[in-house]
Amino acid sequence: MELGPIFRALMHNPTRFWLITVEVALTLAIVVNCVAIILDRRELLTRPSGLDEPNLVVVTTQPFVDDFTEEGFIDTVREEDLRRLRAVPGVRAAAAIDYLPLAGGGSITSLAAAEDDSESDGHPAPYFVVGLGALDALGVELVAGRDHIEADLRPGYGEPENLIVTQAFADRIYPDGDALGKSLVDTDNDVVFGYIIGIIREMHNAWPRSSIAGLAMLRPGPAQDPREIRYMVRTEPGALDAVFNQLEPTVLAVNADRIITVRPIEEYKRRYFDDEIVLVKVLTVLAVLLVAVTSLGIIGLTSFSVTQRTREIGTRRALGATRSAVLRYFVIEIWVITGIGLALGALLTYALNYALAHLAGAPSIDWPLIAAGIALLWGIGLVSALAPAFRATLVPPVVTTRSV
Amino acid sequence: MFGYLIRIALLSLRRNPVLSTLLIAAIALGVAVSTAFVTVYYVYSGNPIPSKSESLFYVQMDSWDPNRPYSRRRPELPPEQITYRDMQGIMASDIPTYHSGMFVAGLTIHPPDAGQRPFRERARMCFADFFPMFEVPFAYGGGWGRESDRGPEPVVVIDAATNDRVFGGGDSVGKTLRIEDRVFTVAGVLAPWRPSPRYYDPHNGPNQKPEAIYIPFEFVREFEVYPGGNHLIWDDSDGNTFEEHLTSEGVWIQMWVQLDTPEQRQAYADFLDAYVMEQKKLGRFGRPLNNRLLDVMQWLRHREVVPEEATGMLVISLLFLLVCAVNLIGILLGKFLARAPEVGVRRALGASRTSVFLQHIVECQLIGVIGGLFGLGLSALVLRLINRLLDNSGQFGLDLPMVAAGIGLSLVAGLVAGLYPAWRVCRVAPAIHLKLQ
Repeated sequence: MELGPIFRALMHNPTRFWLITVEVALTLAIVVNCVAIILDRRELLTRPSGLDEPNLVVVTTQPFVDDFTEEGFIDTVREEDLRRLRAVPGVRAAAAIDYLPLAGGGSITSLAAAEDDSESDGHPAPYFVVGLGALDALGVELVAGRDHIEADLRPGYGEPENLIVTQAFADRIYPDGDALGKSLVDTDNDVVFGYIIGIIREMHNAWPRSSIAGLAMLRPGPAQDPREIRYMVRTEPGALDAVFNQLEPTVLAVNADRIITVRPIEEYKRRYFDDEIVLVKVLTVLAVLLVAVTSLGIIGLTSFSVTQRTREIGTRRALGATRSAVLRYFVIEIWVITGIGLALGALLTYALNYALAHLAGAPSIDWPLIAAGIALLWGIGLVSALAPAFRATLVPPVVTTRSV
Repeated sequence: MFGYLIRIALLSLRRNPVLSTLLIAAIALGVAVSTAFVTVYYVYSGNPIPSKSESLFYVQMDSWDPNRPYSRRRPELPPEQITYRDMQGIMASDIPTYHSGMFVAGLTIHPPDAGQRPFRERARMCFADFFPMFEVPFAYGGGWGRESDRGPEPVVVIDAATNDRVFGGGDSVGKTLRIEDRVFTVAGVLAPWRPSPRYYDPHNGPNQKPEAIYIPFEFVREFEVYPGGNHLIWDDSDGNTFEEHLTSEGVWIQMWVQLDTPEQRQAYADFLDAYVMEQKKLGRFGRPLNNRLLDVMQWLRHREVVPEEATGMLVISLLFLLVCAVNLIGILLGKFLARAPEVGVRRALGASRTSVFLQHIVECQLIGVIGGLFGLGLSALVLRLINRLLDNSGQFGLDLPMVAAGIGLSLVAGLVAGLYPAWRVCRVAPAIHLKLQ
């Protein structure tokens, strides 16, 4: 191997060595940190919510006449709305719901296990108030107990309610796995808030970004808010686009004194995750640009070095070195330089990650990600150097005899 | 002398147009990215009302649960908003130059054109002082008078977009508009107004644009308007009726006061203390006396309105510029050293090292500035794109300080890239190159 001569030659004129080293190290640090953030946010954006997201569309109605404050009027309109919505071809299920999962706005209370007096503040309990048929309308899966029935709806004021909770919520409050049938206590006044009658496998609440995204509770309703009546409509797979435009006329035909908003749940989710989506896009573009810039830099520096060393290359050729030996020389050289740069870069990556974690809550970096980054940049370093190195092999031995 | 150096530098750039383009493109790319994210950070962290940020104060009082602090993580903090009762209590003060309680709600607007369906808009319910206190700009008319707060009188201020939508634009002062079930008279139409961050209510989205319509606060009773924003309560006083909601311990109102002099500030702080002590006698305010008056920047810092993402992008984009500059070192080195024979001749003819160095540094700075100008243009495009992606109604844009920052960044990048190559080339020994000629 020619490692010895390569290294001595490098040290003879170390500028190029240092430039590539620094550039590769910086690039590795930035790109790996960008990718770590991208992966972290993508995980947030793509993790399953338990809901049948692609087929859910939300119909929000906001009445503007006083009729809706009269007792019973809301119920009449709601029943008719739901009956007609369910009859639209392509609609699989529809149910009343007060707030929306994945949309960033909702209600939360705090509850504790009946026998738990250790934690006075209880556990966060984000909830939705839903009408009958909500499980089917949300597309969530019941794994234990039962769905709400007519008799569960609207218990008297302050009476315990029959509640359906997510598995994550049940496990958090009753870690022994025996939550079904147990009671939940309101930590504000130590009164029994309700009983767990059903457990669903998974459902994200209104704050899918938060650490408590998986905690959700369905209270029997429907809510009696005269200002806003909302329906979750679930279409047959792929039928959302066909159904979409029929929903507004359907509910307007029941009662026209309201403002209607029809919007797929995925759009609410997109708005909620706006920052993450933009960040992922921006970081992806930056990482790609950065690798391209670095690659161009290596090409430039290697070309320059080949030009500078034309006479040396010619001399080697004249002394009997083959073309492949010349190529090998440059390939090994760039391999050594980027290798050293990447070793430094690994340290720099951790340093930058430390800074970003403190300044910007960036996720910490695992070594496989750094390893992948090193492999990528090593490969790109080699590929970038190939063209100039190949040009070096074309230097004819006769160069030595000219120009002095 | 300087003009001569620039002329030489331009000549040198023209000699190898491909290389020069590459150099300029590298700087432009780095400057575009870094200026864009410096701007994003600057907008997020900036002072939205520099002229009076030190005389506007956000009012906080600790009316929370006697048994539990408002924030478990930071128990020393009072609630972030105040109750309706307390707002009424402290609005009675005549100490502040201006003061207003406020909250955001969704209200139904019925356009006069029968062909248009009613629609919901975000409305701010506030007092007359809101407009002069926050220096809200008007295209037509103005805010309403304090006398309209009592009553209240049906007067409304609308933003430009609503004016276009409902009245087709123009001076709509004096026209009428049905909101919920009352007919309101338009008192003023806003000129474009985009405080960033939206400091008067960072709770409900520090980067949202201001509300579409503004009506006197006291319509809260007539319309029975529930808050459309953040609303927290610690007991069960928020019963079934609207009156119970209003008198409950729920906090949902933002309270701002303008206090111009230290005496005013002291007097108002004393007034708040006295108010709370009075309420304690009535059995409310079970927690220790803990009133706070934070000025605009203190309040924004407390709310941590700068998204972590913006800080992260700032760091990453500056490093990106650094990589671009390091890249240039190599290219410039090649370019300058290729010129070594020429430099040798100049040196032999008596040019000092300093003048050779200066000549090359000027060339680097020229590349920096040209690249920077292109970069600024590019970064305006980047910001437009980010505005579109975030759908934030043009929150980010280059202003004069940011243009200066962009030029500054490009000069620094040019210096970082050029220092070493210029130093190397000025050390060229005259003799060797003369021999080679």
